Amino acid sequence: MDVLNVDYMLGLVPVLLRYLPLTLQLAGTGMVLALILACLFAVIRVLRIPVLNQLTIVFISFFRGTPLLVQLFLFYYGLPQLVSALTVIDGVTATIMGLTMHFSAYMAESIRAAIVGVDRSQTEAALSIGMTNGQMMRRIVLPQATRVALPTLMNYFIDMIKATSLAFTLGVTELMGATQKEASGSFLYFEAFIVAAIMYWVVVELLSKLQNHLEIRLNKAYSR
Amino acid sequence: MKALLINMLLTTALLASAPSLAQDDPLRVGMSGQYFPFTFVEQDKLKGFDVDVMNAIGEEMGRDIQYETANFSGLFGMLESGRIDTVANQITITEERQKAYVFSDPYVYDGAQVVTKKGNTEVEGVEDLKGKTVAVNLGSNFEDLLQELPYADQIDIKTYESNLERDTALGRVDAFVMDRVSASQIIKEKPLPLELAGPTFSQITNAYPFRDTEAGRALRDEVNEALAALRDDGTLASISEKWFGTDITRP
Repeated sequence: MDVLNVDYMLGLVPVLLRYLPLTLQLAGTGMVLALILACLFAVIRVLRIPVLNQLTIVFISFFRGTPLLVQLFLFYYGLPQLVSALTVIDGVTATIMGLTMHFSAYMAESIRAAIVGVDRSQTEAALSIGMTNGQMMRRIVLPQATRVALPTLMNYFIDMIKATSLAFTLGVTELMGATQKEASGSFLYFEAFIVAAIMYWVVVELLSKLQNHLEIRLNKAYSR
Repeated sequence: MKALLINMLLTTALLASAPSLAQDDPLRVGMSGQYFPFTFVEQDKLKGFDVDVMNAIGEEMGRDIQYETANFSGLFGMLESGRIDTVANQITITEERQKAYVFSDPYVYDGAQVVTKKGNTEVEGVEDLKGKTVAVNLGSNFEDLLQELPYADQIDIKTYESNLERDTALGRVDAFVMDRVSASQIIKEKPLPLELAGPTFSQITNAYPFRDTEAGRALRDEVNEALAALRDDGTLASISEKWFGTDITRP
């Protein structure tokens, strides 16, 4: 038993690969929704829109201040206890809700920082030629902020992919859940989890490549 | 007297018309998929004693069985929130659980067993656990059994989501406590240096929990009927023989 069971590992690859799409779907959907939410929050906070600004501060404080697993349990097990109709929230939905809210709270702050970091002369110039606040945001500030925010946002996406491994606690058999079940059937823990680890790693590596690519593109305007 | 009679009749009628699972609805069964050999996965296929028994019950009831797997700690939450109808994961009947759920008739009779790393001469039974670190599965009733021991305050109990067999074999904990049947099975089938330490120390009976509602009780009755039939025609015994080489479905 001290020898690595390579045959078992190879046999596990196609089995676990079947669960990778669900992992990517959870993280992908969560990321798109979290980005939308985070941009909204960031703009609300930068423009200090009354009421919304305060609500956003509380939202960010709560979702940054509590563990993701606690939030997942709240959505999945807690809400149906208060309102029984909320049983319709299935494990996948609850996971995506949790990932979206949790990570949007973090991402909102890094997007806000990127927006605030855009040089004041840029906003002044935009306003001086008669742009509205909205136009200024869309045309001048956000494109520049995107370039600054991209590396940290990518970081959060990578983190989110790995956070999907909590979903099995809600009955969602994604990559980690499938691995745990296979490992407890074979008792070959090292073999099973190293296969899963490599799969996560490969996915994250591919994303880092994509990030490099995007960064080069976004930096084109600045290279001389 | 008449009023009472009418009352009783009405109650019976109401109970009879209780909202229950439609006849062609599947029975949704939760299990961890991580409790060898009761429920585990091999090459993406859910297997085990609990799977076989549930399938037989489903056949007897004329219902499809829809399995939902989740970490053990999530199963009762899923039952509570109505996402599954029952749990087939060697759930032991305890007083605490009986307050919240109604149980079917027991289908497994077993005892709590101390297991140590092979060659451990310090722990040779439950009385040797004094001053030791002992692993149990999170949410399982073995933690309660240990707490009930007179010297419970001298035992360092560690709860695990999974993999406690591995940690015991690695020597991270002195022993783990599990039911005798699955402990023996793990030792027999799996390449881990473990051994049983002493005899079992508490009789346990395992059954299926249902929500304490009209629908839940109706479903429990339905399952009990199926269980009785499977017991009578020897199906239960033969499934047990297949997995354990002995009949664990009788006291």
